[in-house]
Amino acid sequence: MTRTILHIDLDAFFVSVELLDRPDLRGKPVAVGGRADQRGVIASASYEARKFGVRSAMPTRTALQLCPALILLPGRHDIYSQHSREVISMLSEITPQIEQFSIDEAFLDVTGTELRYGSADKLAHWLHDRIRNELGLPCSIGIASNKLVAKIATEQAKPNGICRVPFGQEAAFLAPLPVRALWGVGPKTAEILKSMGVETIGQIIQTRSDTLVRHFGQRGAADLIRRASGEDESPVESAQSIKQVSQETTFTRDVADVSSLRSVLLELSEHVGARLREDQLSARTIAIKIRYGDFTTFTRQTTLPQPIDLDQPIFETAWSLFEANWNRRPIRLIGVAARGLGLAARQLSLFEPRSERIDQLTRTVDQIRHRFGTQSLQRGSLIRPRKKK
Amino acid sequence: MRVSCLQENLAKGLSIVSRAVAARSTLPVLGNILIETDQSRLKLAATNLEIGISCWIGARVDEDGGTTVPARTFVDLINALPQGQVDMDLAVKTQTLSVRCGRFANNVKGVDKEEFPIIPKPDEHNAIHIAPDALRQMIDQVVFAAAADESRPILTGVLAKFSGKTLTLAAADGFRLSVRTTALEDGVDEPLEVIIPARALAELGRISGDQVDPISITVTPQRSQILFHLTNIDLVSQLIDGKFPDYTAIIPKATTTKTIVDTGLLLKACKAANVFAREAANIVRVNIVPGDELTPGHITIGATSAETGDNAGDLDASVTGTPIEIAFNVKYLIDVLNVAGANQVSLETSHPSAPGILRAIGDDAFTHVIMPMHIGGR
Repeated sequence: MTRTILHIDLDAFFVSVELLDRPDLRGKPVAVGGRADQRGVIASASYEARKFGVRSAMPTRTALQLCPALILLPGRHDIYSQHSREVISMLSEITPQIEQFSIDEAFLDVTGTELRYGSADKLAHWLHDRIRNELGLPCSIGIASNKLVAKIATEQAKPNGICRVPFGQEAAFLAPLPVRALWGVGPKTAEILKSMGVETIGQIIQTRSDTLVRHFGQRGAADLIRRASGEDESPVESAQSIKQVSQETTFTRDVADVSSLRSVLLELSEHVGARLREDQLSARTIAIKIRYGDFTTFTRQTTLPQPIDLDQPIFETAWSLFEANWNRRPIRLIGVAARGLGLAARQLSLFEPRSERIDQLTRTVDQIRHRFGTQSLQRGSLIRPRKKK
Repeated sequence: MRVSCLQENLAKGLSIVSRAVAARSTLPVLGNILIETDQSRLKLAATNLEIGISCWIGARVDEDGGTTVPARTFVDLINALPQGQVDMDLAVKTQTLSVRCGRFANNVKGVDKEEFPIIPKPDEHNAIHIAPDALRQMIDQVVFAAAADESRPILTGVLAKFSGKTLTLAAADGFRLSVRTTALEDGVDEPLEVIIPARALAELGRISGDQVDPISITVTPQRSQILFHLTNIDLVSQLIDGKFPDYTAIIPKATTTKTIVDTGLLLKACKAANVFAREAANIVRVNIVPGDELTPGHITIGATSAETGDNAGDLDASVTGTPIEIAFNVKYLIDVLNVAGANQVSLETSHPSAPGILRAIGDDAFTHVIMPMHIGGR
């Protein structure tokens, strides 16, 4: 059956929330981010600021050089979370089939809601108006038959617009877009594609499949072609149906250095732990995924006697799996996943009241990061020495 | 070796020793059972080097001798034979054991008994004696609390403390603690503490089922092994080397709420809650409310599963102290209630993250401590 998926993305979310309290700043180049003298980065920029080239994740120092008049506001993450929850709860009235993808994005599977809400277009316009009128926030909405295309449609709709890709038109819609617009195509893949003369998504499909297989492996190539054709079967997963929490990273250059891999695993474990705690879940099973330079990929997992949600045991489990299974060849991709998810309940220990303190410490760190950003507090072992120029 | 015995006796003896057979070992002979004549009886023995069990059965010995035979083959064979007399005859040269029973003739290929490890014999000189049913009750009430996983080897053992005229057993898996004290038939001159593998005690409990005479216990002078001598059965176990955590420190000295409730009813409520709790990390919420002059106190056991549903079982209880809501792993509650052995139990609690103490009313010698579960994120 053809599905109808809505992807809703709040435009310049942090800035939009700030503007609710500071209407005097409307129409001005505004950004939320860290201070330049503290090597801060931009978290969110208004469209007025974007005209000057200001982008999120850009160092604030650079942003100020591009746009000296930029009004910089410090982040207030707890306020943003609160607004985010309001939006999600409004969307939840439409359907329980809702997947919050990040603080400012969500997918809705609205298949079969036509009788109640009319066409998807009509529903999207209605939602768009409600979010603006009742919550005061601008958003963009993409409509398509799957998550992949809906998300890309939203990008095309931005800012403050709605874009619908009719069923059957997915490949045609994607064809002229640059390969980087495709979900899962990172800088490294884009570079390889460029070396093959492939710059648009349409050109991926026109490329001989054996050429793609040579570069990306059998599965990698098939996956790339499928996505370039606008095909995506992944379901909209509501919080209740989450099967696993995972985080993975692809290296720009294959890595075989133990200590680098160790810190990457620690970082990934921290991400997974933070997501578990955010969703009030704990995991019985920890898995790792390793992809070598030649695209051979495998996963290994282990099930623990007690469910966990703290970074340290997640990392220790992932690390021992890694040590037991890594064949010392250079690695292209590495990932950590938590499975066997259940209610966040922990059996307290008789002999280790210390675990209580680690628990409290972790939750305090979570709160600090929530409020001041992920980079605000880091483990010493994860701080990379600054490269000398 | 030429010997005759009854199939029933042989099958029973084999069922006792075969639990000590090594499942997988680098030493193949450990997968065998030793059969040898011993002063006009037949001795069966098996060991996995952690524990060793020997058992003697009545037999008519025509010619002394012995061999070892593969456990699976021999046990399966004897169990398949009809009841009645079994005649065994060993061809020493080929180590082939002929086993005849009625009109069944079988030949089992064995391995020379010289390859079998020597299982130490108890020295009756310094033995400590204990009544078999008292020991069995202790084992039932304590061993289940020992750790099943090997991450902390000490906790896979049971602490045995001999002091004066008492024996105390204690086991803890890190989340719960079970302690039982009982009287010895005769005292020990010097206090003695050893850590016995829980598996060895579980086997001891299993094989001491129909024992009547006191069981005698000896620890080797190097404190490396413990020997239990029963009527017609010996069990030897390695001891676990190390220091058992100080369990007395984790038994709360004072608590703020004491709840006395019928053991059977509480067990029923836990089993009902378990139907839902097993889908939800085994969590049950225990809500305790004191009564007043007109109404009795209450204890409510409830579980909620997102998938299967929820329940609450409410029981009258005698509650003294402050109301409390605390969560436990229901499996731990069921485990202890199954062995509490009293009509009523008391549950003492102080705080949702402080240990709860479960005792059998009228039996001060048993103490069980369970750590609660911590629910939710922040």
